[in-house]
Amino acid sequence: MGVSIGAIMIVNAELFVNDLPGQLIGSLEPISLVDGNILGVIHNRDKIIDHRISVNLTFEVDDKRLDELKELWQSRDIVISNLGSVHETFSMEYILIGDVNAQYIEGLLRKINEATTIDEVNVSYSTKSVKNSAHTSLISVKARYEDNLDKIDAILRKECKQYNITYVRGV
Amino acid sequence: MKVFLCGFGTIGQGITEAIMLKKDFFMKRYGKNVKIVGALDSRTYVIDPEGLDPKALLDTKKKTGKVGTETYSKPSEVMDKLDFDVLIESTPTDIKTGGVGLENIMYALNREIDVVTVNKGPLALKYWEIMDLAKEKGCMIGFEGSVGGAMPIIDLCQYDLAGEKIKSIRGIFNGTCNYILTKMDNGQPFEQALREAQQQGYAETDPTSDIEGYDSACKVVILANSVFGRNVTFNDVDITGITSINADAVALARSNGMVIRLIGEVSPTKLEVAPRLIPKGHPLSLPGTLNTAEISTELAGPILISGRGAGRMETASAIISDLVGILDKRFGE
Repeated sequence: MGVSIGAIMIVNAELFVNDLPGQLIGSLEPISLVDGNILGVIHNRDKIIDHRISVNLTFEVDDKRLDELKELWQSRDIVISNLGSVHETFSMEYILIGDVNAQYIEGLLRKINEATTIDEVNVSYSTKSVKNSAHTSLISVKARYEDNLDKIDAILRKECKQYNITYVRGV
Repeated sequence: MKVFLCGFGTIGQGITEAIMLKKDFFMKRYGKNVKIVGALDSRTYVIDPEGLDPKALLDTKKKTGKVGTETYSKPSEVMDKLDFDVLIESTPTDIKTGGVGLENIMYALNREIDVVTVNKGPLALKYWEIMDLAKEKGCMIGFEGSVGGAMPIIDLCQYDLAGEKIKSIRGIFNGTCNYILTKMDNGQPFEQALREAQQQGYAETDPTSDIEGYDSACKVVILANSVFGRNVTFNDVDITGITSINADAVALARSNGMVIRLIGEVSPTKLEVAPRLIPKGHPLSLPGTLNTAEISTELAGPILISGRGAGRMETASAIISDLVGILDKRFGE
């Protein structure tokens, strides 16, 4: 059976577990069960509410499996007090050299947006023009999925070949 | 052990000197000498079935500009006159046809003679034809010096990482381009950096092969065939050179913490040479004329190597390594 892979997100969670032996492990095990990667654990014995001890966790997890994780905790009588997350993004930089004025870049970004999703994009232009009227611009993109970068790459490659623009991408 | 040198330019002279320097090593390891029984340059040749004096060969070339006094029309006519064990092929690379280098290699293999070559043209155009003939004739062929000069990437991938799955190799395979791009990092325009590379002897009078990425493309093809078992030629490589990289692009990269480097990349699906943006401090951001490669493996993760990609004694070192490989197999260590 194939597993659907989502974007990786970094989650910070504050849990309250019963003050009994084995409860800390009980809060960590579900993260492994959803193939998460634990980055940090703080077992805060000073913070006790209603006979429960605070555990603060930071971990990476596929965003599509977060609900499964919450259900696992709840099934183990673990209280989720707070859950904050940020998505991990994949970034790539491209330098374009040729007839690449702001209007052209704008059109190019529109084409990319129609084909895929970009979380963030920044464009810088060279401050001076050089001989044979070539212009230079740097496009920095951030995307939630690595596949999106492949799509951006394919569009830029095709466009640059078509309009005789030199295209320098990151590694 | 008798060797014949086809090509007596910088590399041919370097290997002659190295054979002279390694005389005691060969005697100790195999109980025999490596004798140069023939050498030819672009016009002349000299042979002696009993062995030539390496020092005299070098002196003659230095004094007269020629290795011998006799002229020839085809190298095979000269090689026909002798029995020898290994052909060391270092004639100039011809990327269009494989040139005389390809003829020499095929000739030697057909005579069941082992070959060591640093000539990229034949390998980038007819790799499998050469390997199939070598196998059919029971010959060994070494080509360590054809990629990365003294950087031992072929042997590392083929022998030391034999049990590994190599996922990709990417690297700087042309010292001339790296020298030019490093100079551009410091604000020099392309044309000035190229002229300086020529004055320093890093770039040829006609630098086309280097700056258009053809030289790197040959190396990428050799890696694709020898390490990944692909069946590709020079014509299959997606090549972008560095001629359109301008000072603006380098400055824009620099202001964002990056440099531009000409990177060759090969994997089971990729075959590319192109300028790439590299973060400062990344192993592939290396300055100067060194070659470097990042080998991505399944078990060991990334492995990095670097070394001098060209030069008389650096390339001779790679040839000696191939020669030792052949001698070990033929005569035992």
